[in-house]
Amino acid sequence: MALIQPAPKKDDDREDDSEYSPFYGIEKGAVLQEARVFNDPQLDARRCAQVITKLLYLINQGETFTKTEATEVFFAVTKLFQSKEVGLRRMVYLIIKEISPTSDEVIIVTSSLMKDMNSKTDLYRANAIRVLCGITDGSLLGQIERYLKQAVVDKNPVVSSAALVSGIHLLQSNPDIVKRWSNEVQEAVQSKASLVQFHALALLHQIRQNDRLAISKLVTSLTRGSVRSPLAQCLLIRYTSQVIKESATNTQTGDRPFYDYLEGCLRHKTEMVIFEAARAITELNGVTSRELTPAITVLQLFLSSSKPVLRFAAVRTLNKVAMGHPLAVANCNIDMESLISDQNRSIATLAITTLLKTGNESSVDRLMKQITNFMSDIADEFKVVVVEAIRSLCLKFPQKYRTLMNFLSSILREEGGFDYKKAIVDSILILIKEIPEAKESGLVHLCEFIEDCEFTYLSTQILHLLGLEGPKTSDPSKYIRYIYNRVILENATVRASAVTALAKFGLTIDALRPRVLILLNRCLYDNDDEVRDRATLYLKTLGEDDSCKQFKESLFEELDVPLANLEASLQSYNASEVPFDLSLVSREIKPQQLAEKKAPSKKTGKDFGSKAANEALPLGTSAPDAYEKLLSSVPEFSSFGKLFKSSAPVELTEAETEYSVNAIKHVYLGHVIFQFNCTNTIAEQLLEKVSVVVDSGDAEEFDEVFSKHIESLPYNVPGQAFVAFRKPEGVCSAGKFCNTLKFRVNEVDPATGEKEDEGYEDEYQLEDLEVTAADYILKVGVSNFRNTWEALDPEFERVDEYGLGVRENLQEAVQAVVTILGMQPCEGTEVVASNARSHTSLLAGKFIGDIQVLVRLSFGIDAQKQVAMKLAVRAEDQSVSDAIHEIIASA
Amino acid sequence: MLMSVLFANSSGNVLLERFHSVPGEERLHWRSFLVKLGTDNLNGARDDELFVASHKSVYIVYTVIGDIWVFTVGKDEYDELTLVEVLHAITSSVKDICKKAPSERVFLDKYGKVCLGLDEIFSQGILEHTDKDRVRRLTRLRPLVE
Repeated sequence: MALIQPAPKKDDDREDDSEYSPFYGIEKGAVLQEARVFNDPQLDARRCAQVITKLLYLINQGETFTKTEATEVFFAVTKLFQSKEVGLRRMVYLIIKEISPTSDEVIIVTSSLMKDMNSKTDLYRANAIRVLCGITDGSLLGQIERYLKQAVVDKNPVVSSAALVSGIHLLQSNPDIVKRWSNEVQEAVQSKASLVQFHALALLHQIRQNDRLAISKLVTSLTRGSVRSPLAQCLLIRYTSQVIKESATNTQTGDRPFYDYLEGCLRHKTEMVIFEAARAITELNGVTSRELTPAITVLQLFLSSSKPVLRFAAVRTLNKVAMGHPLAVANCNIDMESLISDQNRSIATLAITTLLKTGNESSVDRLMKQITNFMSDIADEFKVVVVEAIRSLCLKFPQKYRTLMNFLSSILREEGGFDYKKAIVDSILILIKEIPEAKESGLVHLCEFIEDCEFTYLSTQILHLLGLEGPKTSDPSKYIRYIYNRVILENATVRASAVTALAKFGLTIDALRPRVLILLNRCLYDNDDEVRDRATLYLKTLGEDDSCKQFKESLFEELDVPLANLEASLQSYNASEVPFDLSLVSREIKPQQLAEKKAPSKKTGKDFGSKAANEALPLGTSAPDAYEKLLSSVPEFSSFGKLFKSSAPVELTEAETEYSVNAIKHVYLGHVIFQFNCTNTIAEQLLEKVSVVVDSGDAEEFDEVFSKHIESLPYNVPGQAFVAFRKPEGVCSAGKFCNTLKFRVNEVDPATGEKEDEGYEDEYQLEDLEVTAADYILKVGVSNFRNTWEALDPEFERVDEYGLGVRENLQEAVQAVVTILGMQPCEGTEVVASNARSHTSLLAGKFIGDIQVLVRLSFGIDAQKQVAMKLAVRAEDQSVSDAIHEIIASA
Repeated sequence: MLMSVLFANSSGNVLLERFHSVPGEERLHWRSFLVKLGTDNLNGARDDELFVASHKSVYIVYTVIGDIWVFTVGKDEYDELTLVEVLHAITSSVKDICKKAPSERVFLDKYGKVCLGLDEIFSQGILEHTDKDRVRRLTRLRPLVE
């Protein structure tokens, strides 16, 4: 573990004095005292430099200065500008940046730095620029802008780089000023100095990132010309692939623009550039195998490189490719297999997970043998990744469940932390659920595991599953022993779960009931309340035949609502005469839950990326509960019944306009509510009485019933306006709505927020909003498509064929149909193998009124790229099957 | 973004660290994480032998020179290959400043110079100069050789 504090670096008993640290026993107070030498009339440059070094050491050890201390040091340091000693001057530049004075202090040093900025000595200029830009605020920047612009095109590359790098930093805080430098930066891009070109390219791209045309021109000119440094070349490749992505939609035919450039970069002499190009190619939208091949070939060569970084980079890239194009990577399998024994565990893990993705059914056994040896000497975090990959593999090749299940059970018996064990148990649970043949052996493995399981959470989870599934197996009695052992040996939580599991056996299987009753009787003397209570309840119920049936239902019936939604609804429920109604809880599963509970890594200590990951969740993904709460706060909506679906936000304004508005469509059985999220982005304005006027002229079946405006909309505080419509119940009415934002504008003083005038009425045209059939279908997947399909009545099946016209490829056609229907693709069937001539996609969803609907789409594409589609629908209601066909027919 | 550059001695004591855009509370985790990587892999490693690791979308490239462990941490465009460039710039400059692969004592003796060198190599998470000769001249405020 790291020692963070400025600890003495050596033991006292070291014999050799030369090994003592020059900072031995360093103490902040003493150093601050020493810093008084900066005030001496006769400056001792050497001593001053030593004191600065000590200050730097303290800062680099995580030491912090109070505001007073920092101010004192800063003022003292400014005196050192009097010294002509260059070594000291260089230190002064650094320590000023490190102390980072407050804005009112900066003024003290500004004149000295401005003087240096105009110095004839290039390096004084470069350093003064870096320091000034590092500590200054916007107002001063205006004064020095002229010098900075000159510096960007300075003939000395150091000065130029200093200005450019400062520009990159300043762009965050003062974008308007830096954007004015674009002519100079453009000139610097042509510089002969390689790093200047690198910095200029990065800055220019950031300045113009919203101007697609400019970026496209920049890329076009640079890919033809010469880029000097490999670093700049990498940037250019990145920008190029961005341009390709954006232009791909426009060019439906012909070769992909800039592909030749990327392919050429695969032959560059620098590895960094080769990798960047290979990655760019592999990440192209809808990349074909012809395009992929050269990149994969290059990456394959690096798999056997002697440098770990190159092996890592290659296997990391191939691992990503394997997710979308497993066949393309299969050629590398032999090289990849040799990496399983790589000393670097990151490389080995990546290699294994790639192999698990690309391997075919016949290679599974061999692969598992290799992995078994590997598992014992890697850390838990890597093991979790491997377990997840094995789970996916097993779902891909269900026939191999025996080998894979055995593997999972054997690693379950080995040492490991909670996250690792949980990953294994989760995997076994999923396999039991998805592969019926695997159920019995899986349950036995889990039974053995709980005999020696130190994690209460996992034991209870497994006991719950045993209670549900055990009674349905061929020999239920064999599980009783394992469960009852828990009652004897475990803590109270596990004992309580075990009691419930036992009771379920007793309830389901008459033959076992007397024996279960005996066991439950023994639990009546447990020393835990909960265990005793449960035992009493179950004994009573099991003993009474009449109530048994009803109780049985309540015991076995799984809640059909997501627990998170139920929890949120319960929290917002106020105890009153109106009982809590379970049917009003939203059934929509949050996307996070749908994402297969992927490794909920609770490594609190190392979860560095967690914040970013949370922030990265698209707006509205965790919204259903919040929406429900928000809507329930409007009394007028209370009669609408249960919220069926809320759409993702639809932007009704362009980015960076004065007022930002997006809309969310909330669908009820007989109503639709539009929620308009409005934000005022002008600091000098306060908006009042903000409403959205919706013209439903193009939506015949919708009648406006209610509108709620926003009383006041201050700068940057979002507000919500609502408009509600009635529509025929259960019908998927579609329509287009024209929207206008109406409000009263008041000028305000941004500093105080006080109104400055009487204000005036104004309005602002918004984009149109559409309600489509997809708004009436919930994206709810099914765990086993085939079973669910067969369980639906074939009478309600409707099949028809459609021509989809000319399409670039099948993927595009699949995507289009999935988007129109708004259903959940199942079993990964939304991904089409590259260059496939036919494809089948399976979609599932709930139609409004909670009606299960499943869709099988079979696509075919001919040589002329004409796409034909056969659409088979099964639903719980025939009218829904017909409705799906109508949606497609009218699309 | 170059998120961190960290120097530690072979006992895992941090000698010098720079963080950019890493909140204070996360730095502690990084220190422990990096030092653990060093303890697991760097004992017995050759000078300048490169090691690589990743944590989610963050990359770490690290090495040892003399008695000193050097770690670079980056994300986005500062991927493992760019970090190799950064690390090379750092180690070659440190060796230049210390005249050899440094012992801990020499490293601490030249601490001020090392700080200046790093200040030239990267600025707030952006790579600025890579050539050790240029870095040397810049830390001494000497003009570049034409």
